[in-house]
Amino acid sequence: MDGYALAVWIVRLAFLALLYVFLAAVTRILLRDLRGAAVGRASSLGRLVVVASDVAEPTAGQAFALGAVAPIGRDVNNAIVVDDSFASAEHAVLTFRGRTWYVEDLASTNGTFVNGLRVAGLAAIGFGDEVQVGRVRFRLERPPA
Amino acid sequence: MNATDGLRPVSGNVLRVGRVLTVAFAVLAVGAGYWQVIRAPEFDRAPDNPAVIAAGRSVARGIIRDRDGTVLVTNARDVNGDPYRKYADRSLSTVLGYVSRQYGTAGLERAYSAELTGAVSTDPLGGLFGGSGASTVRPDDLSLALSLPLQRAAVKALGASRGAVVMLDPATGEILALASTPTFDASAIANPATAAGAWGQVSTDPATPLLDRATLGQYVPGSVFKIVTSIAALATGAIGPATSYPQQPGAERDGLLVSGYRVRDGHHPFTGSGTAAPLRFDEAIEVSCNIYFALTGLAVGGERLAESAASLGFGAPLPFDLPTAGSQVTNGGGSFGGGFSDDVELANAAYGQAQTLVTPLQMALVAGAVANGGVLMKPHLVTGISGPDGTRTVAPEAWRRVISNEGAQTIAAAMERAVEGRWGRLFTPGAAVPGIPTAGKSGTAELEGTLQPHSWFIGFAPVDHPRVAIAVLVEGSGSGGQRASPIAGSLLRLFFATVGR
Amino acid sequence: MTAPAGPVPLARPTARARLRPAPRPRELALLGIVAVALLAGSASLGATERALAGQPAVLAPVHPFQLGIYLAALLAAHLAQVVAGRRTDQVLLPAVGLLGGIGLLLMERLPQDLVGASIAGRSLGLSDVHLVWLLVAIGAATAVAVAARSDAWLRRYKYTWAAFGIALLLATFVLGREVDGALLTISVGPLSGQPSELLKVILVIFLAGYLSEFRPILATESTRLGPIRVPPVPYLLPMLAMWAVAFLIVVFQRDLGAAFLFFAVFLALLYIATGRAAYVVLGVALGILGALLAYRLFGHVRARVDIWLDPFADPLGAGYQVVQSLYAFARGGVFGTGLGAGLPLVDGRLPVPAIHTDFPLAALGEELGLAGVLAILGCYLVIVERGLRIAASAADDFRALLAAGLALVVGVQAFIIAGGNLRIIPLTGITLPFISYGGSSLLANGIVVGLLLALSDRGVGPPPAPRTPGGLRFRLGSRRGSAAPVGPATPARPATPAASAR
Repeated sequence: MDGYALAVWIVRLAFLALLYVFLAAVTRILLRDLRGAAVGRASSLGRLVVVASDVAEPTAGQAFALGAVAPIGRDVNNAIVVDDSFASAEHAVLTFRGRTWYVEDLASTNGTFVNGLRVAGLAAIGFGDEVQVGRVRFRLERPPA
Repeated sequence: MNATDGLRPVSGNVLRVGRVLTVAFAVLAVGAGYWQVIRAPEFDRAPDNPAVIAAGRSVARGIIRDRDGTVLVTNARDVNGDPYRKYADRSLSTVLGYVSRQYGTAGLERAYSAELTGAVSTDPLGGLFGGSGASTVRPDDLSLALSLPLQRAAVKALGASRGAVVMLDPATGEILALASTPTFDASAIANPATAAGAWGQVSTDPATPLLDRATLGQYVPGSVFKIVTSIAALATGAIGPATSYPQQPGAERDGLLVSGYRVRDGHHPFTGSGTAAPLRFDEAIEVSCNIYFALTGLAVGGERLAESAASLGFGAPLPFDLPTAGSQVTNGGGSFGGGFSDDVELANAAYGQAQTLVTPLQMALVAGAVANGGVLMKPHLVTGISGPDGTRTVAPEAWRRVISNEGAQTIAAAMERAVEGRWGRLFTPGAAVPGIPTAGKSGTAELEGTLQPHSWFIGFAPVDHPRVAIAVLVEGSGSGGQRASPIAGSLLRLFFATVGR
Repeated sequence: MTAPAGPVPLARPTARARLRPAPRPRELALLGIVAVALLAGSASLGATERALAGQPAVLAPVHPFQLGIYLAALLAAHLAQVVAGRRTDQVLLPAVGLLGGIGLLLMERLPQDLVGASIAGRSLGLSDVHLVWLLVAIGAATAVAVAARSDAWLRRYKYTWAAFGIALLLATFVLGREVDGALLTISVGPLSGQPSELLKVILVIFLAGYLSEFRPILATESTRLGPIRVPPVPYLLPMLAMWAVAFLIVVFQRDLGAAFLFFAVFLALLYIATGRAAYVVLGVALGILGALLAYRLFGHVRARVDIWLDPFADPLGAGYQVVQSLYAFARGGVFGTGLGAGLPLVDGRLPVPAIHTDFPLAALGEELGLAGVLAILGCYLVIVERGLRIAASAADDFRALLAAGLALVVGVQAFIIAGGNLRIIPLTGITLPFISYGGSSLLANGIVVGLLLALSDRGVGPPPAPRTPGGLRFRLGSRRGSAAPVGPATPARPATPAASAR
């Protein structure tokens, strides 16, 4: 039994083994994502309630549970979609850092407003503050207990 | 994050569907495991498995020998140096079959292809080290129970007729001869130089020489089936050795009225005067009385007849080295019991007409079971497989008991009268072996229309200590006494002069 | 709250897109494993083929050029997504890439003359053509994944899609060419393809649109039919229509696999949308009824079922394919014969007909063994799991149903053909997604992967850290300070009249 045949044999089984290495790596990612999703569900960080809306989506009274990062904009890939021609596709993003919420205007054309004031770049906001994107007004609220 | 529209979110349903699909994939995994691990050893030696065929291409197959060690097949090499088979005798054609590069394999060559080519490799990692996938091939040799002189004599005795002979050792189930005529030239099919011509002729021959009549031919049995009815009747206690039917003598003359249909018996006018005493069981066998067995069949009932026949192997292919056809007592589907459609069919089936169909191998087993004291042995051709790792012997294997020893003795004694008795001799001329008490039963299978009946004989000898059982069938050659009985007698005499000396 | 200050210009989308590259480390790592695995497989195949051909023993990939192109294409797809900066799923591309690579190795290993094509005077073999289609599929997946930022074009025109699908179906009836007893292929001029592959994508898009719209009615309302509560009768009509379409496909196209696939995916989506087991029970009952009817009425259906029940009844005739498939699986055993070492030729032919389209799993089962088959099944489960996870965390019903439908199309199709190969269900001629040879199949499944990637843009993957961390610290000191009046705000972008990006 020569070395070459042994090498071929090893490579052959290595191919099979690598398929399982791949599956193991993927499984690790899947499990991590599952845990992440569970954590995300368990503790909501806040709620964004629609106070007033002149557009079809979102409608007044609607509420969004917020994760750590909640992009707002007209693009459907946003966590909160504002179907308004006055909103930019990627308009603003709400982020939770430490104990504070921030809103960041993503260089939108028509601006993001916190309690009526236009935001330049990043601004910290608290529960009860109102955020306006396009023709939709939101209020940041405490997560339900 | 979705709007609160009062509906449950779909995500729960999505995950439920996902679970269903996961289960479906688990089923696939189990299926793959089943075929690739559990069934693999069996498939890896299937004769039509391309791996087995491919391995057989370049390999000089193993040798096959008969019970005396006579070589039945050898290998020759063609112009390219590739091996092909040469068979020792034409009489073996349906048993050994052939190996052809163009036309596949048949017979034992097919059934034992994996062993003969050495392609049996159950270790999935075995042969890997060869690198090229071509592992060392170590063909096995086969030893058969078959006796070449008996086989030759059987084919010769059948002559130009189409027919079959099965001889076996009732105590072991070993097949001593398995002849089917016409034969064909298997060597010519195996030789690549002559294969096309030989195949063209053989495969289109209206006499169908490729059909192994002994194992695959299904024939109306006629009176030899009365032994099956006897086994059913005595085993179930429906009749005893002294049973007789008062209405039987009269029915010989007028026919037996069954549900408006008259079962007639034209074979033995000497008991058909209507005034003779009713026949007992052994007398009924001796003179082959249809009325007696029609009445016995009705007494047994369809269900018990079918069950008893099934215990003898009817109803499904027999366990054997070669492919076999099933035998039947009825087409089935009837509501009368056992699949019979009514009592008329049952009465006719009980003496081997109606829808009864049997193979010669099946009838040899019936004779063998009676000879072996009621214990049916599994028939087998191959007695040993020898390779580089040693020899594996195929041991005799009892299949099942079909009747008590006393019941078998009763039938054996009656069958002896059928060969040696005053009247019996007239039905089975030429079957007796001088100096050795012989038991037997002839049969004349009436066919529809004007076709000549099939001639049958089954029997065994010696009666007190049977060493050989036999079934002979000659297609379309008249009554059992005309052709089958003398052939059986000559072969039994040869057996005791050679193999059984 | 007042409306935004100042005159708001009219919204007019422009084709402007900002590119913010985002690294995809998991995808890159997984693609690395895929590349190493495929190199090992190719080297194993190369060594075996060279040994069989009596060539010098070299442990090297069999067709380094083809494998190189393929791996480069996967890397390009990865880089395109990095550059596009979308937070899409990072597992789908490697999983599909691994299956595609295994398919490529299989096509390199099979006789190249199974498919003949010549482009510009160069004759292309099986693996050449297969590689071209793989590249097309990867390209399509990447293009859809990067470019599809809105699903409005799918959502709004569901009836247009349905009409297109039906037109495609009718075109198959009229223009279809019969191949192996099934009316699957449609040829227009030099182009030919199997519309049912594209049809399955269109069907899912339509169903997602339809079911998400009528979900409230379908899920909540009931009519009493005697003692049992059934869903409102008018809304059952689509189910009957779907059943009829599936049945028609069986009758006219003789495509049992597609009919089964469409009906199963339809039922699953109906259940996802409504959560009502009654629909499933009703649908399964209808399916069984249809199957019995088809078995009674049509010889080709009966033949398939009879072969499934006992392929060994006629191992050289009707049951040949299935029997040979099982033999191939059996020859593989647990660890397989090794790539290139299985599948003995019988009289110069492969023992399993249509191996590159309908029986790739049997071939892989032989050469990679049970271990390989289980790994391949695992890859499909990963794809399905990812797709359903995308669906479960989708933003709305339409996207959830679309993602679930696309994942199910892949999963159910893989199950149908793998089950057929393994004699778990009757064999139907349908491709094994990502592995089988076939342009239509690879392209359609590429689009499926692209759509799934696009739909996964959120809900999967770690959320990115808030941008401009430096600025954050700076502004922390002056809370609200950044919320300045409109006037002095720095212009965020050039003063174009466009109201919004893109």
